[in-house]
Amino acid sequence: MSGDTAYPVTRPEPFVYEVPASAREDMRVPARVFADEELWTQIQGDRSVEQLANVATLPGISRCALAMPDVHQGYGFPVGGVAAFRTSDGVISPGGVGYDINCGVRLLVSELTVGDLRGRLESLVHDLSRSVPSGTGRGGELHLTDAELDRVFVDGCRYLLERDLALPEDIVTTEADGSLPQADPGRVSQRARQRGSKQLGTIGSGNHFVEVQTVERVFDARAAEALGLESGCITVLIHTGSRGLGHQVCTDYVRDMDSVMSKYGIRLPDRELACAPFDSPEGRAYFGAMCAAANFAWSNRQVITHAVRRVFTRVLGDDARLRLVYDVAHNIAKVEDYDGESLCVHRKGATRAFPPGHPETPAMYRDVGQPVFIPGSMGTASFVLVGAGGAMTQSFGSTCHGAGRRMSRRAAKRLQEGHEVRRDLTEKGIVVRCRSNSELAEEAPHAYKDVDRVVDVVHQMGLARKVARLKPIGVVKG
Amino acid sequence: MSASSHEFFDHTSEIGLRIRAPSFAAIIGEATRGLAELQLGGQPAPLDGSWRGMDVESTDREALLVDWLNELIFYAETERWVAVEVDVETAGDTKVAARVRGIPVAEAPALVKAVTHHRLSVRQESGGLVAEVVLDV
Repeated sequence: MSGDTAYPVTRPEPFVYEVPASAREDMRVPARVFADEELWTQIQGDRSVEQLANVATLPGISRCALAMPDVHQGYGFPVGGVAAFRTSDGVISPGGVGYDINCGVRLLVSELTVGDLRGRLESLVHDLSRSVPSGTGRGGELHLTDAELDRVFVDGCRYLLERDLALPEDIVTTEADGSLPQADPGRVSQRARQRGSKQLGTIGSGNHFVEVQTVERVFDARAAEALGLESGCITVLIHTGSRGLGHQVCTDYVRDMDSVMSKYGIRLPDRELACAPFDSPEGRAYFGAMCAAANFAWSNRQVITHAVRRVFTRVLGDDARLRLVYDVAHNIAKVEDYDGESLCVHRKGATRAFPPGHPETPAMYRDVGQPVFIPGSMGTASFVLVGAGGAMTQSFGSTCHGAGRRMSRRAAKRLQEGHEVRRDLTEKGIVVRCRSNSELAEEAPHAYKDVDRVVDVVHQMGLARKVARLKPIGVVKG
Repeated sequence: MSASSHEFFDHTSEIGLRIRAPSFAAIIGEATRGLAELQLGGQPAPLDGSWRGMDVESTDREALLVDWLNELIFYAETERWVAVEVDVETAGDTKVAARVRGIPVAEAPALVKAVTHHRLSVRQESGGLVAEVVLDV
């Protein structure tokens, strides 16, 4: 794996590394990376900056192409990238959302503490691993008919309320109430439906997980109180997305857009950036299908929540209730207004981070800001943040989404074998359930950047504020 | 170049597949074996299984390679059928027709979610073809 072609880079502000638009003839706007010096050095180790510069060539891009401090090389767009395109004359790109549409996270909180789990953590994690199917093609218990899938596509989590798989309060604490109104089921292919019909309620593979944690440290007592988080309490973080359904929607529309770009006179430095004008038949079709897949993903995390709640009461008793703190997407395209401009904001491995007072933040959190969850690498801390004002002026209302890979899967496996990773986690007191030692090695902590450092950058830049640090005690890995 | 071969190359978050073969038909066959290696976790494929006909059409050879592999991923995930051997009938610039032998697997294979167009290439090199494709894992 090689690093970037050397680009001229300026430092217009602290934590900002900027490739000017003049660096390449085809760039329309600058490419900006948010990082400290150490992260910047790591980021230069792969093709992230080149990929960000490629994004800066796309038609209708507003202001600049952005990379969060957890950025790493992806396919087409870098992972950890944010790009906003004018809905009037800009494009929409399936690759700018990614194959796992609305991969995201939700945090559940209980009134339990570690002491309440004493002697029962092993059983709890074991039951979670049996009750929440993992693996790429694994299906869940819920097999949906075409008509039921349509309801998921259109109504998202509200449909699950009718099926007794959600609580009314879950809806208001999910981004967009768990359903984007622009969803168009007619734009989702039969193949995508086939892949998704048995996958609702499954976590999949790769870096997806269900993690049992404890609040290790509170940074902001007022915000933590608003979110219902107390030092020592037990939380559950769920990380997954739209599974095979989303993969197929992206596959279908990258293919479609790849074949129509010449019609729109679009030339690209990388075919995976395939796109079409937002306001075109192809652009509207993808947006409708993507919204349907996003609603499927929120529903997927909701069905998993239902399973996790059942496990908690089964193992720990009826008082072991779990409240949804919030659910937020990491891979999505949404239409948002900035300075009076209507933009299609692509977040590919980035989190929406609206500040206090924003009307789209649930009323109960409006005084402190929209909750943001940053999973660390397996076995390391995760963070709870809230959106801050700087996000609206610097990053199209966005912040980072995780620790960010810094090493390929093969390199990670060369450094440490899966059984050694498992042993290290066990020695830290973390109960792990993962079907494959090989996949465990791929997700080892050393394969990722330092999440504390990543979070400090966005905190100091004022994109989001630190609220709490969560320590893992049990992991079910996909 | 008389024999076909494949290797995987590093990518920060995904897996790259590089194929060398004397012809585009052989590229399709070798790419299928590379994908099967990932889907079967490196376990050798049994010699039995069932054959099916597959036709894939695309805009050019590069897109054809992507679409071919995506077709195999679809069958692996929905039918738990992993393609391990290909008998190519025709392989032009925009269409591949082949008979494919696949084996049933107990669980749909982990790892590969999709095949991307990122850094996609099929190029002529010293008597044969070299193709590169990045797989989303």
